[in-house]
Amino acid sequence: MTQTADAIGERLIAKLEVALGAGRPTLVLKSREFRNGREEGWRELDELVRRVERRGVRSLSLDELQRLPILYRAALSSLAVARTIALDRNLLLYLENLALRAYLAVYGPRLSPGAGLRAFFIYDLPAAVRAARWHILVATLALLVGVAVGFILTVQDEAWFSSFMPAALAGGRGPSSTAASLRDKELFAPWPGATEAFGVFANVLFSHNTLVGLMCFGLGLAAGIPTLMLTVYQGLGLGAFVALHYNRDLTVECLGWLSIHGTTELGALILLSAGGLVIADKILFPGRYSRVENLALHGRQAALMGVGGILMLFVAGILEGGFRQLVQSTSLRFAIGLGIGALWLIYFSRCGKGARR
Amino acid sequence: MTTAQDFPEGAPLTVHERTAQFFEGGRRRKRELLTPEGVPVTIEIADYGERLVAFTIDFVIWTLLTFAIYIPILALIGKTGGNLIAISIALFLGFLVRNLYFIYFELAWQGATPGKRSVGLRVIDRNGGPLIPSAVIARNLTREVEMFIPLGLLMQGGHGAVDWKELVAAAWLLFCLTIPAINRDRMRGGDLIAGTMVISLPKRVLSGDLVERALRFTFTPAQLQAYGAFELQVLEELLRRPHNPETTRVLEEVCDKICRKIGWSNPLPRSDVIVFLRDFYTAERAFLEREQLYGKSRPDKYTGPATTA
Repeated sequence: MTQTADAIGERLIAKLEVALGAGRPTLVLKSREFRNGREEGWRELDELVRRVERRGVRSLSLDELQRLPILYRAALSSLAVARTIALDRNLLLYLENLALRAYLAVYGPRLSPGAGLRAFFIYDLPAAVRAARWHILVATLALLVGVAVGFILTVQDEAWFSSFMPAALAGGRGPSSTAASLRDKELFAPWPGATEAFGVFANVLFSHNTLVGLMCFGLGLAAGIPTLMLTVYQGLGLGAFVALHYNRDLTVECLGWLSIHGTTELGALILLSAGGLVIADKILFPGRYSRVENLALHGRQAALMGVGGILMLFVAGILEGGFRQLVQSTSLRFAIGLGIGALWLIYFSRCGKGARR
Repeated sequence: MTTAQDFPEGAPLTVHERTAQFFEGGRRRKRELLTPEGVPVTIEIADYGERLVAFTIDFVIWTLLTFAIYIPILALIGKTGGNLIAISIALFLGFLVRNLYFIYFELAWQGATPGKRSVGLRVIDRNGGPLIPSAVIARNLTREVEMFIPLGLLMQGGHGAVDWKELVAAAWLLFCLTIPAINRDRMRGGDLIAGTMVISLPKRVLSGDLVERALRFTFTPAQLQAYGAFELQVLEELLRRPHNPETTRVLEEVCDKICRKIGWSNPLPRSDVIVFLRDFYTAERAFLEREQLYGKSRPDKYTGPATTA
């Protein structure tokens, strides 16, 4: 429509030019006439786009919302015409800029930030995790292998403990610890109070485990081998830790103490590691795309798993700082830990399933 | 589906680009985005300097924001917690504030944060689709992994021997910093993963048309054949500059050159320089646009009119 209107307008201007042109053709510029007829529409569009950029599509009234795509298409058509008939640099640059900004406004996100975040947590995140179930399985197996090896070796010879567990993390525990000291200072130590608990919580974010988890994720770029190695390594430490308590008849208490935040923290580790495996998978087996293209196509899934992992680490921090020492009964600790683990499982496997997106 | 396409490598510069290069030096990296309406629009990739400035502005804002929240909290809990806890809380708050800051603004302001907006940058979907929340969240949380966690680890490190963790962190940081340099669209790791890219999209102002309605000076077609589109746009750019002694001097020089080139023999008083140049611009543009319409576009004064079939 607009195109034909433009064509008619041009023919008219051309006739005018002939009529007026005798001797002084320089006074009639097609580009000027072109601009005079359309400038108002551009300025109106400019104002609408400016408001969308500041306050979102929702800031427009119903009328303006209907005007936006019409003005956008007119501006695009103006741009196409201007490219062929105008040499005014300022005008051309302005139209290029306006067309792109309007394009982004017209085809931009419809959701408000709040609704967007909600949709993210209800649909996008669990769906991404579900799509990676095989990677999750592999990561879980790697962790279990680590735990088994760490446990078996340490049960036989506690000297292994210090090789699997960095000294900073062992917190004074080791082959020399007695059952009583482990029980009173560690497993059933009194709650330190809110401030300290918060400190523990915040620390989790920057702790060793977090770092290793994130490295698992990032090193997926290196074909996944370091990811698997690190996951096994994490399992070794855990196995050694359990073995230390096993040798002192504290297995059940130890597992209870671990489970309250461990189900979440290990879940996070598995998720991060599986995310790393997804990255490795996309790089190693690019199918019919180039490796980088394939990573770009599927990278968002891996990123979402990373987000899920970080989220779980947060919750693990709250549990570790706030609840672990507050709850002193082993059976209650199991109930909380396994309950929360089950909640994670339900969230990731069921949430938003079957919903249309 | 629209896709951002590469500009053909080594393609000849367009007239715009030549003018931009003439005034600013350097050539911006560009891609073409085909809109569903079928008209391609040009996008310019943001360069490192712009992104650094934008990030610095954002950095200052969220650091101040973090402190504004941190200091009351610190006052509330007193100093009883000890040093370690105070640091932990600061780190945690920093994490929370900066991520919420980036995610909120990039969602609410269509891919811009206050820093990006002041420099004129936008985050867009690489395939031209809408910028969805999961992409925004992914690209921002990846920044943690790319930058803040290794940085935190390096700063936390003691003064003793370098341990393996610090080496890994430093190598990782270095690797992440080189990612934007080794891909065409200057994407960092987060952009790569989230399928986004950062473009330069400063708001442009439409200035008035320089064309005069009534001409005091008239030029013959032979005189107007002296120049091409590139020279015309350079003249436009000069005429649009704010008036000051420096601009006046440049314009006088240009005027002298034009007079010599087109063989303008009548005396021209200094006070008429601007009027003369604007008239010449009008006449030249009318001439060139007309020629272009007849398929005889002329990119610059060295090339003859190129006839396009």
